[in-house]
Amino acid sequence: MALLEIKDVTSGYGDVQILWGASLSLEKGKLTCLVGGNGVGKTTLLRTVMGLIRPWSGVILFDGKEVNKLSAYTKAEMGLVLVPEGRQLFTDMTVHENLEMGATNQRARPNFQRNLERVYEMFPRLKERSRQKAGTLSGGEQQMLAVARGIMAEPLILIIDELSLGLAPVLVLQLFEGLKLLRQEGITILLVEQNVQLALTISDYGYVLAEGKVKMEGPARKLIKDKHVRSTYLGL
Amino acid sequence: MQQLNLLLTSLPDGLLLGFVYGLAAMGLTLIWGVMNVINLSHGPIITLGMFSTFFIYTRLGLNPYIGVLPIALVGLLLGILIYTAAVHRVINGPHLSSLLATFSVNMIIIGLGTAALTTSPYNVDFSAGSFKLGNATILGTRIIAAIVTLAFTGGLYLFLYRTRPGKFIRAVANNRAAAELMGVPSTRILALSFGIGTMLAAVAGGLIATFFPFSILSGSGYELKSFVIGVLGGLGNPIGALFGGLILGILEGIIPAFIESSWVPVIEFVLFIFILLVRPSGLFGAKK
Ligand SMILES: Nc1ncnc2c1ncn2[C@@H]1O[C@H](COP(=O)(O)OP(=O)(O)O)[C@@H](O)[C@H]1O
Ligand SMILES: [Mg+2]
Repeated sequence: MALLEIKDVTSGYGDVQILWGASLSLEKGKLTCLVGGNGVGKTTLLRTVMGLIRPWSGVILFDGKEVNKLSAYTKAEMGLVLVPEGRQLFTDMTVHENLEMGATNQRARPNFQRNLERVYEMFPRLKERSRQKAGTLSGGEQQMLAVARGIMAEPLILIIDELSLGLAPVLVLQLFEGLKLLRQEGITILLVEQNVQLALTISDYGYVLAEGKVKMEGPARKLIKDKHVRSTYLGL
Repeated sequence: MQQLNLLLTSLPDGLLLGFVYGLAAMGLTLIWGVMNVINLSHGPIITLGMFSTFFIYTRLGLNPYIGVLPIALVGLLLGILIYTAAVHRVINGPHLSSLLATFSVNMIIIGLGTAALTTSPYNVDFSAGSFKLGNATILGTRIIAAIVTLAFTGGLYLFLYRTRPGKFIRAVANNRAAAELMGVPSTRILALSFGIGTMLAAVAGGLIATFFPFSILSGSGYELKSFVIGVLGGLGNPIGALFGGLILGILEGIIPAFIESSWVPVIEFVLFIFILLVRPSGLFGAKK
C-alpha cells in the first residue's frame, strides 16, 4: 500500500491557481522522484502536502488517513518531513542546535544521540563545525545540514526539494549515496530534482510534473528511456 | 566643582535606574525579535506592574518584593491572552495591522484603568534603607531592583539558550516556517514569547513603582524609553537591551548635572534618531 497518496490536489497562492489536479503516490520504502521544469509547481505541491498552504480540493492520505487539514508541525510529528528548497536553516543557531531542532518530534527525541552520531558519520564536516552558526557554513555544508536536520527527525517519509541545486558534482554524488543508505534502512523518500538524469538514475519510480499536473509517470528506468523525457528534460 | 559633585551624586542613581529601564526594554525587543511586532501595549503593561506593587504593598500590607513572582506570572498569562485575542490574527499581515491591534489593547487597558483608578498619582511609600557612597545616597530599592533585573536577564539567557522551549523561541524567531516543518508548534511559541515579553515589562513596572509616584498614564514614558533602548541595544537583541538600558540610565545621571533636566528626553530622542541613521542594527548588533 502507498504510504503517501495525493489525489487530484489543487492549490495556489491567493487567487492564483498553481496546481490543477496533481496525483502521486509514494510506495513504502521506495525512492520516488518528482521532476519538471522551473516554476511548474513542484515546491507548491510539497508545501501543500506539508500543510504550509492548504489544498483547495483533492485528498492527501498519509498511511491511509486523510491529513488535508493538519498543520505542518503535526505532520512532522507523524513522520512526514520536508527538507525545504533553499535550505531554510536556523542561520543564527549553531549546527548542533539545528540538529536538535530537527529532532523536535516525540519519535525522534529518545534517539537523538544515536541519530546525531549517524549524521556526523555521514557528514564529518558538520561534526567539525558543530559549534559554528549555520549561517557561516558554505553552501554545500548548509545543504548537508539541511539534509542532516531532516534525518534527525526520524522521518517515515523524507521529502527533499532540490537536493543538488547549486552544489559541486562531488558533493551531489556524496548526498545521493546518503539517500541510497536511507532507502536501505526502509525510509520512504521523495526527491524533487532539477538534475533529472541523476534523479531518474537512482530512483525506483518517477513522476513528471508540468502545468500543475502530473503529465507522465512510471518506473524510473523506463522514464529515462522515454523519448519525450529525453528530449524535454535531458536535452538528448 | 559643584557640577562634579552633582554628577557624582546623580550618576550612581541613573546607572541603577538603567537596569530597570533595560528590563522593560528587554520585553519590547524580545517580542519584536521573535515576531516583528511593535507592542504598543508595552506601556500600560508596565503601569499594571506598578499598580500590582501598589496593591500588594498598600492594600495587602506585604513586602513589595513578594509581588515579583506573582506579577511575573500574571504578566506572562496576560501576554499570552493579548497575543491570542489581538495579535495572532494579524501576525502575517502588514506591520500596521499589528501596530493598530496592540494600540487598541493599549487604549483598552488605559480606559479600564482610568475608570477604576482615575488618572491621579499613586505612591508606594516603601523604603529598603539607603547608604552613602561618597556624596551620593544609594537607595536600597534601587539596589534590589538592579539585582532582580540581573536575575531575570540571566534567567532569560539560560532559558533561550539552554532549554528546549527557549530554543524553539529562537528557532521561530529565525525561521518560522522551518520551525513548523521540524514539528515546532509555532503559534504556541509566539504566544509564549509575547507572554515573556509582557512578563518582563510588568516586572519592570512593579520595580519602578518603588522609585517614583505613578498614575495609569505613566507607562507611556517608559515605553518611549524602551524604544530608545531597544534601538541602542539592537532591536531583537534582549541581552543588548540591558546594556542599552544602562547607557540610557547613565545619560540620565549625567545630563542633569550640566543642563536643565527637561532636556533629557530631547537628547535621548536625538540619540535615538542618530543611532537609527548611523547604526540601525544597534550598538550591540541584532538580527537582520
Ligand atoms: N509564495 C508565492 N506566492 C505567489 N506565487 C508563488 C509563490 N511561490 C511560488 N509561486 C508561483 O507558483 C508557481 C510555481 O512555483 P513553484 O511551486 O516554486 O515551482 P517549482 O518548484 O516547480 O519550480 C510559479 O509560477 C511561482 O511564481
Ligand atoms: Mg521549487
